[in-house]
Formats: sequence, C-alpha cells, structure tokens
Amino acid sequence: MEEHVGQIWDKLVTRLSDRSYKDSAVTLLDVSKPLGIFFRALGGDNALRIVESTATQHFAKRNWKHRVAGTGKYVELSWQDEDTLHLPKQINVFPDTDLNKDLYYWLAAINAHTLENPSAKARGLQGWFAYSQTITLEVLERFPGLQSRYDRLVGAYLQLRNIDEQFNEQEQSQEDAIAQALRKPGSLEQIPTSQYAPRPVLLWPHPNPPEVVDLSSRRAQPDKDVEGESTPSKPEESKKENKRRNAERVDMPDGKDGLILHRFESIFGFSEFLNINRSTEDDDEADQDKADNNADDMDFLSVARDNKTKGGKVKFDLDLPAESMDEVVLESDVFLPEWDYKKQIMQKDYCSVINYMHDTGESGELPENLRRTAKKLRHQLEALTTKRVWHRHQSEGSELDLDAYINYVGERYSGHKVEQPDLYQQLRSSERDLSCLLLADFSLSTDTWLSNEARIIDVIRDSLFLFSESLRNTGDQFSIYGFSSRNRGHIRFNTLKTFDEKYNGIVRSRIQAIKPGFYTRMGAAIRYAAAKLEQQDTQQRLLLILTDGKPNDLDRYEGRYGVEDTRRAIHEAKAKGLQTFCITIDDQGGEYLPHIFGTNGFTIIRKPEHLPQKLPILYANLTTNPS
Amino acid sequence: MTTSDQTTEIPFYSPQGNEESLFEHAYGNQLPVLLKGPTGSGKTRFIAHMAAQLNLPLYTVSCHDDLTASDLVGRYLIGDGQTVWNDGPLTRAVREGGICYLDEVVEARKDTTVVIHPLTDDRRILPIDRTGEILHAPDNFMLVVSYNPGYQSMMKGLKPSTRQRFISMSFNYLKPSQEQEVVEKETGIDAHMAKKLVAMANALRQLKDHDLEEGASTRLLVYTARLIKSGFDPVEACLAGLIEPLSDEEDVVSALMEVVYASFGK
Ligand SMILES: Nc1ncnc2c1ncn2[C@@H]1O[C@H](COP(=O)(O)OP(=O)(O)OP(=O)(O)O)[C@@H](O)[C@H]1O
Ligand SMILES: [Mg+2]
Repeated sequence: MEEHVGQIWDKLVTRLSDRSYKDSAVTLLDVSKPLGIFFRALGGDNALRIVESTATQHFAKRNWKHRVAGTGKYVELSWQDEDTLHLPKQINVFPDTDLNKDLYYWLAAINAHTLENPSAKARGLQGWFAYSQTITLEVLERFPGLQSRYDRLVGAYLQLRNIDEQFNEQEQSQEDAIAQALRKPGSLEQIPTSQYAPRPVLLWPHPNPPEVVDLSSRRAQPDKDVEGESTPSKPEESKKENKRRNAERVDMPDGKDGLILHRFESIFGFSEFLNINRSTEDDDEADQDKADNNADDMDFLSVARDNKTKGGKVKFDLDLPAESMDEVVLESDVFLPEWDYKKQIMQKDYCSVINYMHDTGESGELPENLRRTAKKLRHQLEALTTKRVWHRHQSEGSELDLDAYINYVGERYSGHKVEQPDLYQQLRSSERDLSCLLLADFSLSTDTWLSNEARIIDVIRDSLFLFSESLRNTGDQFSIYGFSSRNRGHIRFNTLKTFDEKYNGIVRSRIQAIKPGFYTRMGAAIRYAAAKLEQQDTQQRLLLILTDGKPNDLDRYEGRYGVEDTRRAIHEAKAKGLQTFCITIDDQGGEYLPHIFGTNGFTIIRKPEHLPQKLPILYANLTTNPS
Repeated sequence: MTTSDQTTEIPFYSPQGNEESLFEHAYGNQLPVLLKGPTGSGKTRFIAHMAAQLNLPLYTVSCHDDLTASDLVGRYLIGDGQTVWNDGPLTRAVREGGICYLDEVVEARKDTTVVIHPLTDDRRILPIDRTGEILHAPDNFMLVVSYNPGYQSMMKGLKPSTRQRFISMSFNYLKPSQEQEVVEKETGIDAHMAKKLVAMANALRQLKDHDLEEGASTRLLVYTARLIKSGFDPVEACLAGLIEPLSDEEDVVSALMEVVYASFGK
C-alpha cells in the first residue's frame, strides 16, 4: 500500500516538474532517415550512425519541483564521436511539432559543420560560450536559408527558457548573456560566472561531449562469436529501451582490459562546478544530491566486459575446430593490404590469406530435400537467362522475315519507296557474357541456430547448392568461395568451385563439408576474391557477397575500422570494373551497408530460411536487363 | 546518329585539368580515347569542343542495347530493283577522317567489339565483311568512346580487353568556383544565385553512394538555373530540376528539400 501511494506521488511530481509537451513531441525515430540525409548533405560524416544520446548531468540549479521529483538533473544534448552522432531521443521542448522538428534539423546542421578554426573548440564554460556562437554564425553563413528557422527557434526557446524560474543577480546576468548570444551570435565574448553552471542551451552543442578512451580495445557490442553460444541471437536486445547515462571507458591501470570503469561525466567537467557544489555546505541541493545516491546515479561504475574475459578466452580456444586432414592448400602466404581509416593509409602486406580446398576424394549428391526446388529453380533461371527469341525486322539474319517481306513487296507495288527494309529474322539468345563470383561468410556466427533444425551455416549450404544447381544450365561462368578469419595473419579462403571447374559431385562434396570458421575480415576476403574475378574476360563481372553480419575480427577489425576497410575494398573492386552486391541476413544491415555498398548495392533478407530459394532469383534479377 | 561538320564557332568548354592537351597528343599519335565520368559532367561538351578545335567532323553515335555492328559499319539498302551499300557512321569517319564518338559504349551489343578491336590496335583497320573491303584508317581518324562507371543499374561493364585499348580520361564535376562560372555562362544567371546553386549541388553530391545513386550533375544545375532565370520560383525550380530527378522515394525527396530550404529559407 505504502509503495502504491509512493508511486502515485512519484508520477504526480514527475509530471509537475517535466515541463515539456507530450502531444507535440517528435521522436528521433520519426525523423532519423531524413535527418541523416540532411546531416550528410550538409557535410556530416557519412560513416556516422545516428543514435539516441545518453543523458548528461548538467549541474545547473534545479527548481524545487525537479529536486523533489529527482528529475531535471540530466539533460539530453547532441554530440558526435568517431562513429556515432548522438541526438536526443525525442524533442518535446515546444508546444508546436514543427518547432520541435526544426530543432532536430538545427542540431543536425551544427553537428554537420566542421569549424573553420577547430582550435576555437575550447573546453570549459567560456570556451563553450564562444564556440557555440562561432558555430552558429558559421552555419548561418554557409546555409543562409536556415536563418529564418533559427530565428523562430530562438524566439520560442527564450520565451520558454525562463518560465517558472527564479534567479539571483548572478544567475540573471548569465541568463541575459545567453539570451543575447542566442539572438545576436558573436556579440558577446564572455559569460559572467556564477555559483552554478548555467542551464544547458538546447540549441548549442554539448559543452563537454563524452570521450571514449582507447578505442582500439573497445568492443562496440559484445561479440557473440567469441561466446560461441548456439542460441539464436536477439537483435531486440541491442535495441532495448535503455537510457544509458554518459559513460567513459577507462583502461585498468595494469593495461588489461578485463574490467572497465564507467565514469559519469559532468557537463562542464568536474573541476569547474562539482567542487563549488560540494563546498557550499548550506546548499540544500548538495544534500539532495547525496540522497540520490543509488547505484544508478553513482559516478563510478565498474563493468566487466563480456568478452575477452578469462572464461571466454579459454572457451574460444577450445572451440577451434581441428584443421581437417583432407584439406589441400592451394595458395598460402598471399599478402594483402588493409586500409586504416584513422591514419588514412593503406597498410601494405598487412593481411595474409591462405586458400584451401576440401578434398575428400568422394563425389557428393544433392541433398534429397533440395531436389524439387532445384529443378524448379533451374527451369526458372533457364527461362530468365537463356531466352532465345526471334528478333524480327533485322537487316541480317538466318531466315527471311515473311511478314516484313510481304509488307515490303506490297508497299513497293503501291509505289512507295521504302528506305531500308529489314527483311530478315534471327534467333538470338539474350546476350549474356557474364562471370559471377559468390563469396560466402563462414564466420562463427553462422553457427547460430535459426530453428530446431537449422543453423545459419545450413541455410548457407543449401543456398550454395541451389545457386549452383540453378546456374549450371545458364551458360554463365561462376565460382564459389567461402571465407573466415582469425586475426590479420589467418584469413582462410575456402575454394568450393573455381571458374574453370565444372559443377559436379566433387564440388558438391566440398559444399557439403563447409563449416563455421572464426571471424569476418571482409576487406581482405573481398580483395582476394576481386583479384580472381578480375581475370575473367567477360563483359559483366559480378562479385556477390553473402553474409550474416558486420565485418569484424579480433585485432581492432571492428566497428568503424572494419567497415571502412571493407568499403575501401569495394571501391577498389568497382574501380577494376567489377560489380558488387551484398546479400545479408543481418536485420541491422541498414545501419552500415549503405556506407559500404551504396544504397542500391545490397539487400537484406529478413527471413534467413528464405535465402536458399531467393538467392538464384536475386541473381537472375541482378543480371538481366529490365528492358 | 548526329554529324556536325566543321563549324566556325568553338563550343564553350571549361577544362578540369590537362585534358585538352592530352586529347591533342592522343590525336597526334593516332591513339583512341576513352572518356569516363558521371552523367552530365561535360564529356559530350568536351568532345564537341575538341572536334571544333581540331577542325574535324564529329560523328556521334548514342549507343543503346539494340545497336549492332551493322548500325556502325553500314548495310545494304534495297532501292528500285537494285541494292545499294550504305556506309554507317563509323565507316564514314574512317573513309573521310574525323572523330567517331560512341557515347555510352557499354550499352551497345557485343558484336560491336568485333569492329572496334581491329580499329583500336596498331592495325587501325576496319574490315567490312559484306563488301569484302578492308579500310585503313587515315591519320586524322580518331575513335572516342565514353562510359559512366557509376551507372550500375544495368550491371554492365567494359571487358578488360576492350578497356585496355584506350587512353583513358576521367571526368568529374568541376570545382565550385569553376562550376559557378559555367552555370553563369551557360544560363546568364547572376553570380549570387549561381553560387547558391553550386553549393547546393555539392551538398547533394556528398550523398552519392550512401543515399543516392548519382549526385546532382552540372547538366541539372544548368537546367535549374535556366528555370530560375526565366522567372520560376527558385525553391520550386530546385524541386523540379535538382531534387526530383535524383530520387523517386518520397521521404528522400523531402529530406533533400530540407537541404534546399537550408539554402533558400523556409
Ligand atoms: N567543363 C564544362 N564546360 C562547359 N560546360 C560544361 C562543362 N561541364 C558541364 N557543362 C555543362 O553541362 C552540360 C552537360 O554536359 P555533357 O552533356 O557534356 O555531359 P556528359 O558528361 O556527356 O553526360 P552523359 O554521361 O549523361 O552523356 C553541358 O551541356 C554544359 O552546359
Ligand atoms: Mg553525353
């Protein structure tokens, strides 16, 4: 009962203190697609993902309602780090939806802008005050069309900002300075100081964006590969409604990254305001803050990383499948470069590839359960790709086009002079001169179970079978390879069928033998495959990539590094005149695939079990002209 | 096919780099040239300019997927009771000298490579099977082909054995100040507006590959400027001339319009 009353009281006060407009709220989810395009068009970094920002503690004075409710201590601002643009989850500052939307666009615009003089981005209160005005000025100068939008925002914002607030003299002069700087950016150099930090300004950049320490040891997501679990992964988990607080990862002093310290950053850094807060003994808010001292609000938290822990490592090593006896090495110590986007350099001979083949000496059969589908698909593909039709009205051809001839004779007798009668017809197949290299991802994540019967790798195996069965009668040249990696020194390239080989029992036995490998160093695999495909002298050369997730590997090949290297490899392939296309079963592919393959360079198959049937059809669509 | 004979007026072309001199050297050494670059980046204009500069007739063939070797070489026409051989544009250029320009050559049928290959190595011959002739190209004959590597939807590329027969020149959109000058010269629009349009086009070009298949071309910019110049509302002109041609997706179009508003206000 007591608890119940408590909850009602809680809600009441929270509502009281939360001075925002629910009906006119605009969420990031609503606008993120157009906002992303807008951000990139205005110069924002292509590779950034847009995510909901984490709340930041702002250390400004809170009014009594906020204090009672325990709200208002954190504010959501915008900032970017090296692979994400953080924007508020929702904006409901204004009673008018359009203004809330305008604020999103304004935030995207200032984040997209790179300062002409980056050193202006000084830290601290004064730095923030000056820098915010500079960036406002520069953005308005570059995109003068934003001026009217900005003016509207400032007008509405200043009206709302100070409702319900009581300020002492110092605070009032700070507020006045902010108002002036908003109305006339560039007109004030300094903001007067006060006991509290000024309240955050929603139109300005984050004063002290959280920084990530030592990115190379950071894992963006727990690595399911390492865990080696055999349960279906749940994408919802990563999307979990979860307002994280600002966190900073800090390496343990001994340099081991088993444990990470999360430190909650204050808005202007500790030194400037926290001390002031603490030293004011008679300040009731300081006490209130101490009372808020639950785990959620703790300024330090230590969190164990869920991979690379001892247990995980041991398990990983145990998971290494023994290299099988029937493996034949075709080529080894092939050195390939890798792109380091941070340094913007190509690292020469950075990766090493080994190309091998399973040779059981046996001839394999097409699995029983695929036979009917295979037959159906084969006919479909044949019809689509090797259609032979009579081309009429040709100037030359194997046979006379009777229709045309009769017409011609008729016209001549009636006295018409016919310029150029095309009297022949010719049976022609639709012209195809095409090679396709299918490159499949055999990383450990393909060990994931999709249902009680099948893992991802099984779906891939079926796909490779049906792909080959469908293509065998089309006359198209094709080859099939798989890849996985374990560090840059071990990129394993599994040859299933070369361009020169026929699709037969031997190839089938190799497809039958595929199993999950380790990681996904996609860039190197693409470079190696592209070099093979490049040797095909056909008009069209298609590199088809089949994958289930992001590029990743143990040694820093993850997050943006892996994505940028893969993107680079794709660009190199295109420069060689190869066409590339990616087929993925990763639901989240939309976040990073456009950056790697371009908007129309990939497709996401949301139901992996449909992949085997869809792959050949997709292939046909890709390789036949719509006309 | 279009033919333009020697004209006194040389079409305006603003160079991106050393392409004029490279082209002249290629011509002087009887080397075929491949122009590649995104749509509307000045390839056609460049050829028109160079042909006039070198005082050569220009035979332009826009290739399409039904274009066969006989469309290039020629065919027999049946006249009144007799058949007459009729030269195609390529044959005419080889006989009489001049530039034969095959625009979007990847679109042409495969059999066209059969006639292109012997013309583009040091034999420089054009065998005409139907008449039994073998023509030797004169020194003032030049073959130029173009293609747009970004144009992916057709999934076609040049065979390496074709590609490697040409001196290649890459075209791209001009740098902002130069592109602004081109827009002003082509349309007579004022400098301020031209600058705004170019800035916007460059913003849209950032979206190539990630959000759009192609960026806004100089050609679209020229079109848009013409609409504005003749009194059409600038925002509406941008929608029709710059934005709609880039995407059919509604939400992409509305996002791109935000970029227009960022320049012209809302
Ligand atoms: N360097 C330039 N100098 C002068 N005008 C240019 C230049 N570049 C582009 N233009 C303008 O852009 C228009 C389009 O150029 P053009 O037709 O040459 O493009 P293209 O590269 O041939 O395109 P496509 O691949 O679509 O055929 C020209 O008509 C001209 O107005
Ligand atoms: Mg052209």
